[in-house]
Parts: sequence; structure tokens; C-alpha cells
Amino acid sequence: MSVKTETPTLKKSLLRSIAGQSIPYLVAVVVAFIAVGIFIGLMGFDVFNAYQTILFTSFRTPNGIVQTLLKFIPLMLQALAFTIPLATGKFNIGGEGQMIVGGIGAAAVGIIFKDLPGYILLPMVLLGGIAAGAFWGLIPAWLLFKFNINEILSTVLLNFVSFQMIDFIASEVWADPVAGHPTTVPIGEGGWLPLLIDNPPLHSGLILAILVAIGVYIYTNRTTGGYEMIATGANPRASKIFGIDTQKMFMLSLILAGAIAGLSGSLEVSGYQHRLIKDFQSNFLVLGLIIGLIAKGNNLAVPFVAFFIAVLEVGASAMQRTMAIPVEMVYIVEALVLLFVLLSDVVRRRR
Amino acid sequence: MEFLDPIVNFLKLILFYVVPFILAGQGTMLGGRTGVFNVSQEGVMLLGSAIGFLVTYYTGSPLVGVLAAMLVGAVFGLALAYFTTTLKMDQFVIGLALFFVGFGLHTLIPKLALGIQSSLPRIQTLGEVPIPLLSEIPILGEIFFKQNMFVYFAILLSIGLWYFMYKTKYGLEMRSVGENPLAADSLGINVAFWRYSMTILGGALIGMAGAYLPMEFAGTFTPNIVAGRGWIAIALTFFGGWAPHTILFGSMFFAGIDGLAVKVQVGNLGIPFQFLLMLPYLATILVMMFTFRRSRVPAFLGLNYDRERRS
Repeated sequence: MSVKTETPTLKKSLLRSIAGQSIPYLVAVVVAFIAVGIFIGLMGFDVFNAYQTILFTSFRTPNGIVQTLLKFIPLMLQALAFTIPLATGKFNIGGEGQMIVGGIGAAAVGIIFKDLPGYILLPMVLLGGIAAGAFWGLIPAWLLFKFNINEILSTVLLNFVSFQMIDFIASEVWADPVAGHPTTVPIGEGGWLPLLIDNPPLHSGLILAILVAIGVYIYTNRTTGGYEMIATGANPRASKIFGIDTQKMFMLSLILAGAIAGLSGSLEVSGYQHRLIKDFQSNFLVLGLIIGLIAKGNNLAVPFVAFFIAVLEVGASAMQRTMAIPVEMVYIVEALVLLFVLLSDVVRRRR
Repeated sequence: MEFLDPIVNFLKLILFYVVPFILAGQGTMLGGRTGVFNVSQEGVMLLGSAIGFLVTYYTGSPLVGVLAAMLVGAVFGLALAYFTTTLKMDQFVIGLALFFVGFGLHTLIPKLALGIQSSLPRIQTLGEVPIPLLSEIPILGEIFFKQNMFVYFAILLSIGLWYFMYKTKYGLEMRSVGENPLAADSLGINVAFWRYSMTILGGALIGMAGAYLPMEFAGTFTPNIVAGRGWIAIALTFFGGWAPHTILFGSMFFAGIDGLAVKVQVGNLGIPFQFLLMLPYLATILVMMFTFRRSRVPAFLGLNYDRERRS
């Protein structure tokens, strides 16, 4: 008897919580679009045409879908590299640098061992990126542990170091003399990720990335280790008293974030470009940041928000090409979405 | 004394480079001493550089350009103060969100103003304003008194802030807000007023630091012109122990690294230039390793004060 009455209420409460979670998002998106629409209209552009381009470019052609997914993969991983340390209360602003160093690691392995067969080289390339990214995450973790250095500063400063590293690698060490832009020679074909679709090409890194996202969700929400991580973020002092090694949690979360960002770098090299190209990470730092903040650090929401942002990015570059409206206009949409999502929390707290 | 020329020139260059560090460092310090930890510097400086450049270009007056950038910075400071002090939201989340907004606007606004494709125009770079008599002093006059207006302003500002914070009653009130807002509040000091005013003033200084960059050398604006100086300013504030006079000297160090990277590059020592360009960031990390633990930090830095909450 009791089971019968409980199940519907549980379902109802779950539904209500999902609705309660997503309604602020929907309102935020709609209000942001209206506000920016008014602005675009005042600038003398065709608002309807602009929004059609932004929202539907991704879905109109196979190419649009693939472009969006190719953006979605690194953006989601970048956002996870931000939200994982956020669970412990730490801010990783270095996802972009960790991705670059991951790309360097992957490219180095792929170029040095270019003659190895695929079943050895491909895992090596991917692991090379993960290890390099994890190392780049280890540095701020160590600086935090050993010298108590604020992780925002150390992670962001390492980004700038990595910008110079990739320039050096791509224009001095393994430079491709024919390319006009700093670019390395291609990695061995054994290191290329197999394609899911041949034309337009979509690589199987998509599946890997989604598996990582699921793994992260399960780890943070369904395991003891993840629970300790979240407890550390919620109240470090209490967690410490209850025997959680909070320092270890801080470090672990930063290294894990570095590994995931590093993976995104190796996916770009092994799946998409097949070589290392300077500036392959366009503005991923701020985009990963905004995705993580809009998702409010919720790892279940990250993939959906990342997909939404990928759609906006692809649509906005089409809009700049065809209508001469600057692509940065979507930053304003994203900033307003974030603002309204954050404000909805304030409103809820007041009630 | 010809042999001294390279040294004199280098010291002169440091004072030239030091301006954005001083301004952004003092701006960070002002908010921080009342408990508001600003992390939006990079974004605000980027936007300040775009606004300062555009307004200077349209009005022909660098002064108006700088004032416009300061106004924008003040608005960002106001937003930070409102969301954290009044709405009690997380200071880092809001700071990073404001960084994002500044970053987005800094390329959007020039594109809207000048068109997407067009190449950017040039503005006048800042000229030297020699100070009468003092600039006649050998060596010292050349280094200190033949500079642009902003160099004088930044140094005088630092001295003024030191006087205000440590020699006046109001400075004591302001500092107490960042150390113990509960005690300050119980003495009738207006915590919210100090947090708002100092964060807004700090934002204005950070905006000004951004506006200086296109006027300093290049005479034009390039995306990402700030190149991490906003983040370095935060590290500098820790290095300088959150006090105006030590921040002034700390800034000299960071400007020196900047100048060194340029000088060595020109000198062509056979080191790949990419490694020289890493120097400022690596040096910042290194400096943090030695000073972060010992740095004297305002007790309420990064924390919001809620009168109703019992702790």
C-alpha cells in the first residue's frame, strides 16, 4: 500500500524538481533573446533573419550538425574542466592552457612515433594528451598545496605560458614550412581517430567525450569520492573535521580537470586537425567558463548547456558571414542568460 | 656620463610600463581592503582599452577617452558591489561573469563602431610632459620627470592613497571594514558605503589602466591587448601586501620584467623569443611562491558581510 502511494509522489517531486530547474533557464533564454533582439533591431539589422541564422544554422544541413558537434566536444570538456574543481570550491581558469598542452602532448607522441600501427599509436596519442593536460593541472594543484597560491591566478597565468609553448612547437620544433600559419607537420595516420561519419567528417571523439561526461556525472553524484569532493566544496572546515582530506580533494579535482581538458586537446589533434595548429582553441577559456557558470556547476546540466552554446557559436559565425552582425553579439546573449539564471537563485532565496 | 645611457633608458622604460600595473593593482587593493575581491580586472581592462581607444579616436582627446574608460570601469565596479554586497552573491562567480562580459564587449564594440572588416585607425600616443626645473636634474630628471601625464598621476595616486588610508580617520574606517565588518558595523561605520565606494573607485582605476595600453606605444587597439596584465595585477596586489606604498614598488618589479623581456628580445641573445614572452607569467608564479604565504591579506577578503547572519 505504502509503495503504491509513494511512487507517484516521488515521480511527481522529481518532475517538479526538473521543471523547477529548467523553467528559470527557459525564462532566462527567452528574456536574453528579447533584450538582445531589441538591441540588434535598434542597430538597424533584421532581427528575425538574425535569430533564424543563429538558431537554425546548426540544424539545416548535415554540415551544420557536424560543425556544431565538433564545437560541442571541446566545449563540453572545457566546461567539465571548470565544474569539477568548482565542486570543491576551486576555480580552474586554466582549461584552455591545459587543452593546449594536451594538444602538444598528443601531437608530440603522434609525430615522434608516427610509424607505429594504429592500435598502439592511437591510445598513445590520446594518453599523451591526457597526461600532458593532467601535468598542467598538477602545477597549480602543487602550488596551491605547497605555497597556498590562489588557483585562479596560477591556472590563468599558465594559459599565457602555454600560448608561447604552442607557438614555439608549431613554428620552430615541428613546423610545417608550407603552412602559412604556425602549424606542425601531421601526426602519423595510426594516431587518427576513426570517423563516425565520412562526409562531412565527424570523428568518434564524440562518443569518448560523452562517455567522459557520463563518467564525471556518476563519479561526482554517485560515488563516495565524488561525495567527499562535493562535501569539501560545501563546507571545507566541517569536511576536514569529519576526516575528509580536503587538500587531497582540491588537488585531485584540479588534476582531473587538467586531464579532461588535455583529452579535449588530443581529440582536436587526433580526431579533427591531425596536426597541431596554433590558436586551435578559439576563446574556449571564456566559453568553458560561461557554460560552467550557466550550468551552476551541475555536471548533469553541462552537456546540455554546452550543446546550446555550440549551436549559438556556429549560428553566430554564420550570422557574421551573411549579415555582417558581429559574432560577439552572442556573448551578450550568454551573459544575460547567466545573469538571469543567477538572479533566479536570489529570488528563490528571498522567498 | 654616456655609459649610463642604457641604464637610464631602461629605468625610464620601466616607469613607462609601470602605469597599468600601479593603476590596476591599486584598484584591486581598494576593493580588497573593504572585503570585495575583484577578479574581473582582465575583462575590465580589455573593455577599458577598447573604449579608451574609440573615444579618443572620435573626440581626438586622450583625456576624454580615459575618462570614458574610467566610467565604464566604475560601472563594472558598481555591478560587482551590487551583486556581492547587496545581493550577497559569490564574489568569484560574479567577478568571473564580469570578466566574461568585458571580454565579449571588448571586441564587439570596436566591430560595431568601425565595421567588421575595416582595419583599425591610429590615435596619437601619449607625449612626454617634462616638469620644469626638475627635469633639468641630470639622470634623475631624465628618468622621473620627463614622462607622460599618467606616470605622474599613477605615482601621485599611490602616495595619496597611502596618506588617505594610513593618516586619516576615513582611511581607518575603510580598512576596518575589510578586517572586521561586524565590529565596524557596531561602531556605526557604514560597511555597505565603503564597499560600494571603494569597489567603484577601484573599477574606475582598472578601466583607466586598460585605456593606457593603446595610448602607450602602439597608438592602436588590438584584441587581447591586455595580455594577462589584469591577472598579474591580482598577483601583484598579494605581492604588495594589499597596501598602496608596497604595491607601488611591487609594480616596478613587474614592469621591470616586462621591460627586460622586450630588451632581451631586441638584443637577440639566441633564446627563442617565445621563452622571453613567457617571462612575465613565470616570474609572477615564482614571486607568488615566495610571497603568497607571508602576504598580509585583509581578513574579510572575498567574504560577504551579512548583518543578520550569526556565525
